[in-house]
Amino acid sequence: MDEKVSEWVAAMRGAPDASRQLLAGWLGKQTHRFTITGLSRSGKSMLFTSLMTMLKYRTEAGYECLPLLTRLPTSLVDSMYMEPLPGFEMFPVDEHLAALESGKWPQATDTAYGFRLIVRLTEQGRFKRWLMPYSEVVFEFIDYPGEWVTDLPLLEKTYNQWSDSAWAQQSGGPQHRFSTRWREFIQDFDFEQEPTEARIAEVVSEYRAYLAEAKREGITMLQPGSFLLENDSLSLTSMGFSPLPSTVTSDPSHPWLKAFTANFSAFKKDWLAPLKDKVFREADKQIILIDVFEGLNHSREHLYQLKETLSHLAETFVYGESNWLSRTLLRREKISKVAFVGSKADSVPVSERDALLSLLTQLTEGARAKFGDKEVDFEHFLVSAIEATDEGEARNAVRYRNQHGDYVEASFEPFPKTLKDMESDTHYPVLDINVPKDFLPRILNSRGMDRLLQFLLG
Amino acid sequence: MTESAYRSKVSQKTLEESQPEHAMPSRMAEENWQERPISGGLSWGKVALITGIASLLALLVYNAVSGLLADFERYPITSSVLGTLLGIFVLSVSIVILRELIAYRRVNRFIDSRQPLGALRELPTVADVDRALDSQASQFGRHSFAEHCYRHYQTLKRDDQSAKERVDLYQHHVQQPVQARASSVLKRESMTAGSLAFISPNALIQTLAVMWISLRTIRRMAQVYGLRPGTAGNWRLVNVLVQNIAAQSLFDLATDEVVNQISGTLSAKLMENSAEAVAAGALNVRLGKALIKLLR
Ligand SMILES: Nc1nc2c(ncn2[C@@H]2O[C@H](COP(=O)(O)OP(=O)(O)OP(=O)(O)O)[C@@H](O)[C@H]2O)c(=O)[nH]1
Ligand SMILES: [Mg+2]
Repeated sequence: MDEKVSEWVAAMRGAPDASRQLLAGWLGKQTHRFTITGLSRSGKSMLFTSLMTMLKYRTEAGYECLPLLTRLPTSLVDSMYMEPLPGFEMFPVDEHLAALESGKWPQATDTAYGFRLIVRLTEQGRFKRWLMPYSEVVFEFIDYPGEWVTDLPLLEKTYNQWSDSAWAQQSGGPQHRFSTRWREFIQDFDFEQEPTEARIAEVVSEYRAYLAEAKREGITMLQPGSFLLENDSLSLTSMGFSPLPSTVTSDPSHPWLKAFTANFSAFKKDWLAPLKDKVFREADKQIILIDVFEGLNHSREHLYQLKETLSHLAETFVYGESNWLSRTLLRREKISKVAFVGSKADSVPVSERDALLSLLTQLTEGARAKFGDKEVDFEHFLVSAIEATDEGEARNAVRYRNQHGDYVEASFEPFPKTLKDMESDTHYPVLDINVPKDFLPRILNSRGMDRLLQFLLG
Repeated sequence: MTESAYRSKVSQKTLEESQPEHAMPSRMAEENWQERPISGGLSWGKVALITGIASLLALLVYNAVSGLLADFERYPITSSVLGTLLGIFVLSVSIVILRELIAYRRVNRFIDSRQPLGALRELPTVADVDRALDSQASQFGRHSFAEHCYRHYQTLKRDDQSAKERVDLYQHHVQQPVQARASSVLKRESMTAGSLAFISPNALIQTLAVMWISLRTIRRMAQVYGLRPGTAGNWRLVNVLVQNIAAQSLFDLATDEVVNQISGTLSAKLMENSAEAVAAGALNVRLGKALIKLLR
């Protein structure tokens, strides 16, 4: 592409003077704050990249890539531009597109990025147009590494509670198999020794090794996921911890318990709480991005675990209808609209999409239960950020180019109708799809984004 | 990898061919559809317009003259010139009206055969919707605006759309723009109706003019939809049309009466004509609205 997405139209924008901006705020500005909740590799960055690309090509070149979207009518869209979100690095859309161009998927996200997307609409009403020629629809998005999101529930826990639940999880469920080495390590470790910095580092690094292994094996409940990434503000010396055996945690005066409790508190106070305020700040709309296929790739147990993880995550958000007062004066927002989005829908053949949607609906049951009796408008969607596959010969097959450059047809046996029906000894291996050469039209032809936007803007 | 313990439910085979390339999605329908000129009718229309204006001018002169020479006898020459002019005008208008009458019958088949979109939304599958919409669209004439919209709509279909979404898409990309176009045609036609009523020197000419415009409105709007000729007349439409003409004539009578009361000065005549112009315009709008509703 000859022109950088982030630069487009930015130049067109004359700085609006303060008074007009204030007026605009009263009259013609709709700000939609989205929070996207998605585990690591669920497709957040691709979704944003695709969204920006589609809106750009739609606005500037009139490509009808979002046919079902009528809430941002092309005839009214005057222009659109992007801005960084204050306090965040700009979302690297150009880099992502360059990666796709060179045949690679975008890199995993390692820190928080934000952006604002402003769509300027010509005002239709005559009186309004006289006052303000344009109204603006502002989208605010924040992208972050998915590893962070699973840590949010820790804010509500004490160290002891967390340690106990971590053991419970590791000894059951699919993790059990990958945690053997780590559990043996803890069993053999001598906690009578003083918790020196070096010994703490040893335990923490062993624990991180377990987390990394579990992540490779498709485990979604990784706590703390933040330990999987390097970050300057997260010092493992002062904030590192791991679960401790119950013999240690049951003795309040135990030096190791004291040390890890202190580190745990520091982790919450100096890392997690600021992270929540900044990255997972209040929003009125939430996209919960779920890669159902990732669960099918592993096992039924993984799917159940994914469901549990989602419901834990839902606990950390505040749902309900926020009124004008709380929104404007208290600047407090509750999430009133939730889109449960099954990502990478293109990797599933047409015949299985209904089943996929139904599995998605079951996976979100626990999370939806957290809405309680609050008025939350929610819907389930299947979305692809890019149509990387083609239809196969039969309805149950897709074709794609794999990492070796071969064009392959994959035929699927029917998906289970319910999680329960998934046979415990079978799986649907994830297709090793390569970035197609014609990635741009395939992004513009991707499915479901129009429906999703239509819902979110409503 | 532990996965090997599981049986894979996906079987894969390498294909000989290479991956096909996607085309870019279609672009916004550019405003490149042009109403095609009404062949032949235009020249008669021109004749009517020119002679109409000429009649008005002649009448103005005549009025002025007769005002000045109110006590004198009419000049025979003036009245015969005026008579001839009026004769040509009436003739040309009649011919035009005849043409419009023929074209007007196109509207019917469409109105009879089309299913309301609301009912289509209830259809169970996308294929059913496609079939219904295709048969509806098969009546759009070639090169019509409706056909233009329909072709664009075709490019917006995606395999994951539901039946209801398809209908919405059709509504948004075919029905609504076509209706908007029909409304703008109607607006223009009604302006013409008003202007013609304004310049018409007497009730006969005015009735003919209004009739012509009414029929032309139907034809122009049918052109937006590109409807092909039908057979039977549509009585609902004829009703509206007849009512319009009757209303216009009644209105003429009434205004004539008022003018008679306040004596036939030029300004009274002007007032009368303006009132009639407004009425003619409004009645034409009524006709068009009825038509749009029928075509919806
Ligand atoms: N076929 C297909 N694959 C996709 C799609 N979106 C994402 N993927 C695949 O999923 C991988 C992860 O996508 P990302 O967007 O990087 O995921 P993320 O949620 O940003 O991941 P983190 O940054 O690690 O949290 C990509 O590298 C692609 O291989 C899609 O729409 N279709
Ligand atoms: Mg990412």
